Order: sequence, then C-alpha cells, then structure tokens
Amino acid sequence: MSSLSFTLNGKPVSVDVADDRRLIDLLRQDLGLIGSKEGCGIGNCGACTVLVDGAPRAACLTLAAQIAGRHVVTIEGAATSPLLRLLTESFATHGAVQCGYCTPGMIMAAAALLVRTPSPSRHEIRDGMSGNLCRCTGYHRIVDAIEAAAGRLFAETAK
Amino acid sequence: MTRLSLPIFEEVPEIGRAQPRRDATPKALGIEYFAGDAYPANLLWAGVRRAGVPHARLASIDTASALAIPGVVAVLTHADVKGSNRFGVVRRDQPVLVEAIVRHAGDPLALVLAETPEALRRGIALIEPVLEPLPGVFDAEDALAADAVLLYPDEGTNLLLDGEIVVGDAAGAFDACAAVVEACIETPWQDHAALETPVGVAVVEPDGRLVMTVSTQTPFRDRGEIAEALGLPEEGIRVIAPFLGGGFGGKDGITIQCLLGLAALHAAGRPVRMELSREESVSAGVKRHRTRLYYRLGAAADGALQALDARIYFDTGPYDHLGGAVMMLGLEHAGGPYRIPHVRLRAWSVRTNNPVAGAFRGFGVTQVTAAIEQMIDRLALALGKCPLEMRRHNAVRRGDRNAVGTTVLGPAGLVDCLDRLAAHPWWISRESWIAAAGLFKRRGIGIAALHHGTGYGPIIPDSAGAKIELTGGGRFRIYCGVADMGQGNSSTFLQIAGAILGQPMEAFDLLLPDTDRTLPSGSASASRTTSTFGIALTTAATVLRERLLCRAADAMMVPSADEFVLLPGSVRHLSSGRDFPLGVLAQRLPLDDRVAVAYHRMPGSRERPDAPPAMRLHGFPHRVFGYGAHLARVEVDELTGQVAVLDYLAVNESGAVLNPQLYEQQLQGAVAQGLGLAIWEDFKVERGLARTRDFDSYAIPTALDLPDLATQAISLYDENGPFGMKGVGEIAVNGPAVANAVAVAIKRRIDRFPLTPERVLAALDRPSEMP
Amino acid sequence: MTRVIMPETLESLWDAMTAAPEARLFCGGTDLLVRHRREGGGSLIGIDRIAALRGIRYQDGDVVIGAATRFSDILEDPLIRAHLPVLARGVAALASPTIRAMASIGGNIVTASPAADSLPALTVLSARLDLASPNAHRTVALREFITGSHATGLRPGEIVTAVRIALAPRPALHHAEKVGQRRMLSGTLVSLAAVIAMDDDGRIEQASLAFGNLGPTVLVSVEAEAELIGRRLDRDALAAAGVAVRRAARPQDDVRASAAYRLRLAGNLLFRLLDPKIPIVAEKYKGRETAE
Repeated sequence: MSSLSFTLNGKPVSVDVADDRRLIDLLRQDLGLIGSKEGCGIGNCGACTVLVDGAPRAACLTLAAQIAGRHVVTIEGAATSPLLRLLTESFATHGAVQCGYCTPGMIMAAAALLVRTPSPSRHEIRDGMSGNLCRCTGYHRIVDAIEAAAGRLFAETAK
Repeated sequence: MTRLSLPIFEEVPEIGRAQPRRDATPKALGIEYFAGDAYPANLLWAGVRRAGVPHARLASIDTASALAIPGVVAVLTHADVKGSNRFGVVRRDQPVLVEAIVRHAGDPLALVLAETPEALRRGIALIEPVLEPLPGVFDAEDALAADAVLLYPDEGTNLLLDGEIVVGDAAGAFDACAAVVEACIETPWQDHAALETPVGVAVVEPDGRLVMTVSTQTPFRDRGEIAEALGLPEEGIRVIAPFLGGGFGGKDGITIQCLLGLAALHAAGRPVRMELSREESVSAGVKRHRTRLYYRLGAAADGALQALDARIYFDTGPYDHLGGAVMMLGLEHAGGPYRIPHVRLRAWSVRTNNPVAGAFRGFGVTQVTAAIEQMIDRLALALGKCPLEMRRHNAVRRGDRNAVGTTVLGPAGLVDCLDRLAAHPWWISRESWIAAAGLFKRRGIGIAALHHGTGYGPIIPDSAGAKIELTGGGRFRIYCGVADMGQGNSSTFLQIAGAILGQPMEAFDLLLPDTDRTLPSGSASASRTTSTFGIALTTAATVLRERLLCRAADAMMVPSADEFVLLPGSVRHLSSGRDFPLGVLAQRLPLDDRVAVAYHRMPGSRERPDAPPAMRLHGFPHRVFGYGAHLARVEVDELTGQVAVLDYLAVNESGAVLNPQLYEQQLQGAVAQGLGLAIWEDFKVERGLARTRDFDSYAIPTALDLPDLATQAISLYDENGPFGMKGVGEIAVNGPAVANAVAVAIKRRIDRFPLTPERVLAALDRPSEMP
Repeated sequence: MTRVIMPETLESLWDAMTAAPEARLFCGGTDLLVRHRREGGGSLIGIDRIAALRGIRYQDGDVVIGAATRFSDILEDPLIRAHLPVLARGVAALASPTIRAMASIGGNIVTASPAADSLPALTVLSARLDLASPNAHRTVALREFITGSHATGLRPGEIVTAVRIALAPRPALHHAEKVGQRRMLSGTLVSLAAVIAMDDDGRIEQASLAFGNLGPTVLVSVEAEAELIGRRLDRDALAAAGVAVRRAARPQDDVRASAAYRLRLAGNLLFRLLDPKIPIVAEKYKGRETAE
C-alpha cells in the first residue's frame, strides 16, 4: 500500500492504495464514483474511458501508480466542466442514450475528440468514437449528438 | 450539477411527441445506479468454477486447496443446495451447480466466496474437479440420429421439442410451379454482448429474507425459480431490478441469480457480489440459437407464391432455456409475411453439448427471416421478377390468411412499407448507383420484408399489473413491474401517465421493478412490455384521474366531476376558475383513495389451428404482428472480401408511434444487431468449446462499421395496444437485406451468416450465378 | 500485490532495473496489463514518465521518435504526416483512438507480435532502433532486432530508447492497409506497408514492401520487390510480385481467419496500389529544419 496523490475532477485527492490497483476499481470501489463502467477489462469497449492529463485512457488498463500526480477527469467531472455538461445534454436530447452503460465512456471519448478536433466531420466523429462500443443505439444518434455539441461549442467560442 | 433535468420534462408530455427519455440524463452523468454499482460494506465476492469440457461425468471435486487460500471464505457444491438445484423457464432442467453430469463447457461446478476479487480468482483456479469426459454431440441434425450420444439417456432422445405446420399440399403443389428454388442456409450463434454483463448483489437480511438487486429482465419469474432451486419460500425472496445495461434476451431468466442467492445464504448475513467477467459471459452465457434451414420455395409464373417446404434445426444446447419457444416462434414465421397456399413447415429444437441457446431479440424470427427473404430473391431471379414487386404481390393484408394459415386481424402495413421503399431515391436510382462502383468495389442493393408477432401466444398469460399513486406530498408515483433494459419503456410510461393525468414528467417518480413493491407484470421480452403494462397503466391512470376529479368535486360540493380538469400540480374547477393544489387535495384523501391499481391481460389468438398442445403452449399462434421492409446499399471490396454497408433504410409498421424518438431507437439498435449477425459476429465453437472468448475475438460493429441508419414509421392504429401501438422491439433485427444486397453485388449467393470477408472472397472464386 | 515503480529519469530507471531484474517493463500498458489480467505476474516498472524517452524530433537527417511516444502523437506530428505517411497510415487503425493515446511505439516494437501494427511501416522505412543500458548504447536495424514471434534481440538490462527513420531525399509513393475483422478494435489479419519510388518515366526504381501477420515476423520478399524494379506500377507487375509474396508467406490458421484467406490477401493487397485515390505521395524533404 502506498499513499497516492492526484487531482480528480479538479480537486486534490489522497488515498492509500496498492500500486497495481486498477484505476477503474479505485474510482468505483474506493472513491464511490460509479459513473465509469467496466465492460470488458481489456481496453476493447471504451466503457471505462477517463481523461488523464487531457488524454483519454482506459481505466481498466491503468494502474494507480500511473496516475500519481496527474489530473484525472471522470464523467463525474460534468458537475464543473461545461464541455462535459454540453455533451451530456446533447446526448440526452438527441436520443443517444438507451441503456446508458456505454454513455459515460462515450462522453469522455467525445470530449477528448472535440478538444483534438473542434469541428469534426461525421466521419471524423465515427473514427474518433470507434473505440467505444454501443450495443443499443447503432451509433447514429451518438454521432448526431456529438456533431450538435461541436456546433454549439463552435458557436460559443466564436462569440 | 444542479440541473439534472431537461426543460421538456416540465411540460405535460403528449402521446406522439418525440421527446427525450427521462433516464437519459442521469445515465449520461453516471449517477444512475445499475445493479453492479453498489459496493456495500463488508462485501464478499462470489464466482464459479466452470467445467471447461462439454460433456463429462463429474466424478469428484476437491475444494480443499481452494479453501486453504487466505481470503477464501467458502467453497460450495451441489451438496450445499437445499432445494431442487434446478431452474429453467419452461423446464426446470438446468443445474445451479452440477451434481453428476456436465453437459456444456460453461456448466458451473463450484461456487467460491472470498474476501477480495484476487482471493476469489485464486480460489477458483485451485478447485480440482475430476472430470471423466463423455463423447459429445455438437450438431443438431447429428443429435437426432439414431446412434447419437444422448444428453439425457432416460429421455431416449435429444429432441427438446418439434413442431409441424401443414397447410394445403406442398409436395403436390411444387409440380405446378413455374419456378422452384432450394437452399440450405445457416445462421450462427450470436452473443448478446450487452455492455453490462450479468451482475448483482444479494444479502440475507436479519429477518431471514434473501434480498437481491440484480440485472434481470424477469424479476418476478426469477423469484419463483430461485425459491424452487434453493429450497426457499417465494415470499422469503425479494428481487429488485434496476435499469439494465442492456439485455436483449441474455438476461431473460436466470443467469447468476441462483448462484448469487446460494452465496448469500452462506455468507452469514454479509452482502455478496457476483459479476460475470466478459470472458465468462461470452464463453459460458446464453446465445442466440444457431440454425440450419432447408428451404424449398415455388411460385407461379406471375410471381404468386405457391408452395413452401421448410425444415429448420435449432441447436438449443443442453437445457431448455426457452429453446422450445424460440423454435415455435421461428416456425410460425418461417413463411414470411406472405400468402402461401401450400406449406409444410417442420422445426426441431435439439439438445447438444454446445453452448446454451435461449432468448435473443428476434427469438427465432431473425433466423427464419434470413432464410425466407433470401429464397424470395432467388425465386424472383428465377422468374425474372423484380424482388420488390414479388414481395408486394404476395404481401399479406388485413383479412388474409398468412403462410401458416392464421388470419391477419389488425392493421398490416407491409404493403405501405414496401411502397415507401419503392418510392425512395435509393431504390429508384439503384441501377445507376450500382454502376458507379469504384475500383475494386462491387455494389448491390437488397431488400427484406419482415413480420413479428408480439407476446407469448395463446396459453402463457401476457399480463401486467400497474399501480399509480398520488403521494401525500402531491407527486405521482408509478409502480412499474416490468424491467427497463434500455428500451425506454419506463419513459414511455411516464409519457402515458403524464398525458392522461395532465402532469409533466417531472411530477412523477417511477419505481423500477421490486417484487416487494411493484406488481408482477411478466418478462421484458417478446416486444410486449410497453403494450401490456402500458394498457394496465392507462387504465390505472384513468381511474386515478377520475377519482381525483370526483374527490375534488366532493370537496367543492359540486355535483359533477365533469367540471374539473387536472392541470400540472392542481385540479381546476373550470366553471369558477378555482385551482385546487394537488398537494392539498392529497392531504385530504386516505391512501386507498390516492392509489389506483389495474391489471391487463393481453388477449391471445382465438384461432385454433390444428396443432398439438405443445405447440400452443410454446406460443402458436400469435395475434398481433408488426411489419417492415428494409433496404441496404452495400459495397463489397474485391481484394479483401469486406462488406461495407453504405446506407440502410428501415421502414416499419408497428401500430401508432407513441414517441418517435424511442421508436427510432428501437429500430436503429435492432438493425445494428441484425447487421452484426449478418456481417461481423462470428461466434466460433469447436466441439463444444467456445473459441470466441472475449471482446477481442468477438467483433460487434463499431461506429466506423455502421452507416447512418435511416428509419421511417408507418403509423397505423392497432386497437390492442395503448393508444394504438404495437411492440417494435425485435422486428428490426435481421440480416437478409444485406445478404440480398451482397448477392446482387457479387452475383453469387453465400448461404452462411456472417458474410465474412473470407466467405465473400471464396464465393468470388465460384462461377457467377446471375446475369 | 504487485509493486509498480514509475521512474522519472533514465538514471532512476537503471537503478530500478538493477534492484529488480525480474521486473517487467511497460509503457502504455495496453499489452502488458492485458496479459497481467490473465496471468498475474511480478513487479512492474513503468517508463511512461521518462521525458527523455518521449517526443519526435529531427536530427541529422533522421526523424527520431522516443520509444515512449504515443501513437496519437505520432499520428498528429506534421513531420511524420508529410514525410513518412506510411507510418501514419500504418498505425491509424491500431486498436482504437483511446488505446493509441495510451500505447507507445516502443511497446509495440518490443512486444513484437506478428500482427503488430507499426512494424510493417517501420520495416519499409528501414527504421533503426537506439538501444541503451546503464553503460552502453547501440543502434540496430529493426529488421534484425525482431527475431521471431514475440521475440527480440533485447539484452537483459537493455531498453529501446528511440526509433530512427531516415528522411528520404526523394518523393515516393507511400501506402499502408490493414485488414481486420472490423474497421477498428481489430487485430491485423494481414497488413501491407509499401514505399515505392519511381523515376520521371514512371518506372519503379525502388520498392519496399512489408506484410504483417504472414509469418512470425514482418514478411519482406526480396523477390517480390525485384519483380517491380524497372517496371511501371501496373496490374501485371503487381500480380508477379504477389506470386512471389505468396510463395514466401507463412500465414496461420486461427479463430479469426484461415491461412488460406490470409494467403489470398497477401497477393490481393498489392493491387490497392493501383487505386489513384489511396496511396499518398510523401512530400519531398528539402533538408530544412522543421518544428518538432
């Protein structure tokens, strides 16, 4: 067990945790942040996507020791992140949420995509989201939601 | 985040409006608790050791080494199961923990309880079963052979159920046909691949009751099966079913519930959590039935279908698990949505040592549709007819007898759907579009006609109980007995109740299924939850509305309730303009006055086709059918054989559309699963062992694989459903539009799903089968 | 519990490796941690924080990519996009965007899977590897470094520090294609990377072809390349090259595809070079300093 310090959704956090505790378990079990989901455990579904220092990561393939001193953002960061809130609203209004299990991971991946590519084409959206599996929606409405969010982002920043 | 809710939820919802779901925002924010999201204090972790061989005698099992692992609290075997140790929806034939015979590689042998997931893993690995392999049977037709290895020697057969539907004289009618086509088509197993695997938490409370929160489509039915299997009284079990992270049939019935309950019984009051890993779910969980379909179809020179002979084999694995019902629904739909005067349709649901097959969205209809729709295209080609015109010519209309002789009673919008395809630019421009294929690409366009009967058939009750309450605080609470696995029925219920009671969705709380608090309402399956519970809720909400208006009239000493109307948060006396806040009214009323309960049983078919009781029991015939016609534009790469779906259009008629956004969600999601079955999802089993093991080897389509999915609704009023709707959950799961498109593209037919690049490339080696 | 050490400098890395010689090194963790999940294992050393191992720069005619550089950075680097497009194309379909933001080029090389996404492109670019241990440095050709399926010439106590790729003095046609079970999140069934230089008459002067997952290591067929030299890039030339490739290929049967199918792909993929819309001409590098 070591003491691990990092920033989580903008706030400093310190926990005693094993070096090799998976970030997904640290978030869900130790910190009660159940928004990130585990769908496959091998980085193949995207349900556990979080941001670490702005880059998307699969929390199921991230060890506690790797995030020491880093900035971690999870879906719970939507409380204070306008971008995450914008995406959440867009997903909800565009019918992009059915069972909802893939949705937090989708939103985190979408946030990373929009930071990288602020005005993505539909193909760029599909490419950017290609690591996030959804079994319910067929992705069409998810693409719509992200496209609309990008449009609103552009409008906001263009002001 | 202070605002959880979208502004639209502050308005009164309307039936027919495309409004967002209320559960969307909490799910998107990650604050909605699924069954596996609670980690109570003092938790124990449970998991099973599975057989790993498909057919064997379990001679002994040594649990001592596992028990010696620090952190392992208990290792349980069948000897620890006090009840029947059997579960199953129709037949109680599946063991909680194997006693003597292993019948599929995923059969659980021992259950381990541990303090940590790590100790659990180590404990499971150290269990030492002594398994004496038995010869296995791995193909449905082989399993029916006289000398086949028997899974249940006492039964003398591997046949679970068979069925036959005969209308007219098919054998004789073929001779008079201008064209007859014949093929053997195979569809593979399919994994549900819900993003949430089966998971739950259970505890035996101080009063001795077993309380379980679990991802399940069938909370009430589960309770009965758990009780019997574990030897508990049913009232001593409480099952709570939160939103599921996807189900699609994979959680229709017992997955982990009996094991989890057993674990909790041995946990000395501590809560226990069990979650199937993805690997476990893929390799040992329930699958869509693999089928082999022998079809022979003939028509007259003008394109009128004359004769169909079909023999369909369903590989159901070792246990019933709805394998009879799936076969029966497939058999009923085997002729497609057409008039065919002479049919001989036979189906067999056969036990093998392959993975357990059971419910999966589409439920047998997906498989037979794959066959009949490809045969229609073959026949059209043989006769020189347009495939769309051929379907239109033979499509059932209201009042017809369909291919299995059942009367088409309600609206049947198949022709409307086909007309939409015919008028669509993609169909009209098909020849020029195909000709514009680029270098190394071949293009094709294909269509398929669909139908799907909803509900359970004439015997099994399709019923629901809805309860709605005006709480003392003036809010409304719906007690919902059917699970929401992502199809959004809970939002539709809010919409229905809101529209009837004149209240915004914000004014409602909705209790998801809880066997202590909500009423039994059947499974989340068979495309029936919104219809059946919806009518019960409509009745209950209407009764409650009338009662509240009457009580308001009483309170104001006005003789007629007609002068009152419910508005958001209040009752208005229209003549005087006076508003009476609901909170105040609620305070004046005893609980019984504020609660309305209604039941609905969906009527089954009154027709009695000449068929044995077993067929009736398993669902034949159905009464309410949805219809559809789909179109796919595909491009095949000549160098790699890869199939790309560039465009897809789904036109469906499933009664009135209560919420276009939810209706579209159902179509798009189902289409995606049908495309997966048709193109990418190749679940490989070799002599009973799943070689496809996880999300790496099992490829469901990604956002780059699927195109935009265009949908259209033909909205016709069906009197059986609430506000005229029919169920739409399953009908759109189909692959033959793509198969027909690929056939046009490469001028050859491939009779196996999925149409993998390898199969396509191999087909291109054969001589062309079309002009 | 597994100890995980995350050194921040090369010096502390050498100390950690000396203290725990059995420890396994990882960078992004996308390969190792998947194995770790299945098999468990001893202590781990993460090299992800060592700044000296990250970054893309130009040095003495080479593009030098730090071993810990993530594929997402490689894909966005202007130098690589302009002058080494075969590398960008070759890794564009590696796993998924999120995995590309985690996985390192050094990790992909050292794991040395026969299906590794980066190896065919690095092979046709004649990539070299800088290797270092506490007291020594050496540079080897990638082709010599990979010795077999999941096998490399990495010595005990040694790490890959960088990948070096010479910028060609002439423009060339670059092409890469990966065939998977689906468009993303898919292991390679077969892949092709190609760099082809032609003279002013359109005759091929130089051809480098490398195939992924047609054998235990990247498949290079000198005979196939020889078929192309002096000819125009046309169907006949590519067909002849394809015959040579198929002779040399040793594909496997596995749960994803048969060896027979892979063999067909081997020849077929070459024809994609005929599609005017797909291969890309690498910009000529004129020797100016460019931004990192």
